[in-house]
Amino acid sequence: MDMKTYSAGEINVLEITGRFDASTVQPIATWLEQTTSTPGARVLVNLTDTTFVDSTALATLVQALKRCQQMQGDLYLCGMRHPVHMIFELTRLDKAFSIFSDKERALQAFAK
Amino acid sequence: MLVTLLNSQYARFAALAESWLSLGATAFGIYQDGHPLIYWPTSHRLMRPSLMAPILRGDEELGEIRVTGVNGEAFQQRLRADAALIAYVLQLEEELQLMTADLVISQDQQLALYRLTQSMRDLVTIEEILRVVLAEAIRMLKPQGGFATFEPASPEDRLLIQQPDDLLPDTVVWGLHRQGLTSERPIVRSETDPEMASLGIHNVLQVPLRIRGRVMASLGLINRPGGFDAPGIKLACALTDQASVQVERTLLYQEMFQQTRLRTEMELARRVQVDLLPHTLPRIEGLEIYAESRPARQVGGDFYDFIVEPGRPFMFAVGDVTGKGMSAALLMTMTRTAIHSKSQFMPFPTPEAVMRQSNEDLYNDFTRVGVFATAFVGQYEAENRRLVYANAGHAPVLYRPVDGEAVLLRAESTALGILPDAHCRNQWLRLAPGDLLVVATDGFSDVRGADDTTFGIERLLELVDRLHHLGPQALALALFEAVDHFGQGQEQEDDQTIVVIKGAAM
Repeated sequence: MDMKTYSAGEINVLEITGRFDASTVQPIATWLEQTTSTPGARVLVNLTDTTFVDSTALATLVQALKRCQQMQGDLYLCGMRHPVHMIFELTRLDKAFSIFSDKERALQAFAK
Repeated sequence: MLVTLLNSQYARFAALAESWLSLGATAFGIYQDGHPLIYWPTSHRLMRPSLMAPILRGDEELGEIRVTGVNGEAFQQRLRADAALIAYVLQLEEELQLMTADLVISQDQQLALYRLTQSMRDLVTIEEILRVVLAEAIRMLKPQGGFATFEPASPEDRLLIQQPDDLLPDTVVWGLHRQGLTSERPIVRSETDPEMASLGIHNVLQVPLRIRGRVMASLGLINRPGGFDAPGIKLACALTDQASVQVERTLLYQEMFQQTRLRTEMELARRVQVDLLPHTLPRIEGLEIYAESRPARQVGGDFYDFIVEPGRPFMFAVGDVTGKGMSAALLMTMTRTAIHSKSQFMPFPTPEAVMRQSNEDLYNDFTRVGVFATAFVGQYEAENRRLVYANAGHAPVLYRPVDGEAVLLRAESTALGILPDAHCRNQWLRLAPGDLLVVATDGFSDVRGADDTTFGIERLLELVDRLHHLGPQALALALFEAVDHFGQGQEQEDDQTIVVIKGAAM
């Protein structure tokens, strides 16, 4: 797993490459905890190059989403491949998250 | 020194005096700085000696021999030879004293090292070890002060100890530490180094500590009067060698302790999980049922449960709490208890109502600890041979009607603990003879095989289609075997739980 973080204006972007699971979750969880603890934080997690997510990864994203919402911020997801999107569908997490097909659309949604 | 020699070798000097007196001398004496130290006979002070010979060490005159009553070159030569002999004996005596002093110091140091080794056995933290070694190095080498540093891979565990506490600013010590990391050998620097002079350091000895094959710590001694000589450096190295061994031992102990703690916790978690699962399978008319859960080495939060109450419809639940270890086991207990108590005690429980109320119970606690639980709750309506169910984010759930193909039953709401209100709705499916329901956990579908591929849902659907004719137990065991085979004997990463229910003749 590789993670890349950068800012696109006021939006903190996290890009995850490879498997996002219990064995790789720690640095991602740490980054998300720091980033989403800021009031009004706007966070985009780009899963375009993520090949797999397990339940620990999903829990990490859910925790970050809840924290972000408590702090009046937003956390969006974008760019899921089919197997990853299917996991979100099966667990119905697609109901809980705002999910966009690619980064550009997600950034546009933040701008609205 | 001359006086000491005269005291210790009095008899020999007396014999020397006797030999001169027997040769005709009227008196013999040893003088130092013009004053008599000893003379024979005792009544003669040799104020006007006839012959004198200096006792020399190099150019330095240590004393002189005086005689009276004899003259001539032969006597003068003999007197000079005696003086040279005394000078040589004096030199030997001095060397002996120095060697004795060195021996005493060396014995003291060996004793101190032995005591240090003994005392360090009782130390259980790296900070204690470094503190003791630093104190001992300062006591034995007598510099103005010193420091000890430790910098492992995790930055939060790094240590800096100074004696006295305010010897140097911390940033300076870490700077010295980093410079020392590049060296495998002791470094001695003096005030000729402009950087040292600006810090008020006259001399510094820095000895790296090699721990597990890399320099991870260092001992520094600052401002030793006279500087750091070879024996001093050797001694500091001996001390740091002891410290390195002890630090390695402590790290090993800490790791073993941590591993034992983890093993105990995992064992406890496994016991909690296994003990809470039903110990027997329910016997329900019109259904064949099999259930099994295989916890991973680091247990997850899987569970299954049966609620069989006289006069009430049979209910069952399968769930999976996120996370691993003891915390997952405890949260699994909470989830199972919430679902079980609702199913058992609600006046008219339905899967939808059980799921909604369980979510209300669990939402706040789950939000606080950042977890959620997927769950599937089913209720059998024997009279019309249907199953009512609600699925909160749980997968995989497979249904294969006796006359059709296996399909995946998708959840209608998110898992418990994600949203404050669960939007679960009751769903129905037929459980007539031959109809098959397989509720598993993601420990099946997520099994990793060669090329990093996962077992996935499609393979499960194919298997259920192919093996639908089997009884629930045979089918479950075949599925376990299939995922084991796919995982190629690798360690099981997550719990694997399965409940298989098949409609049977009444």
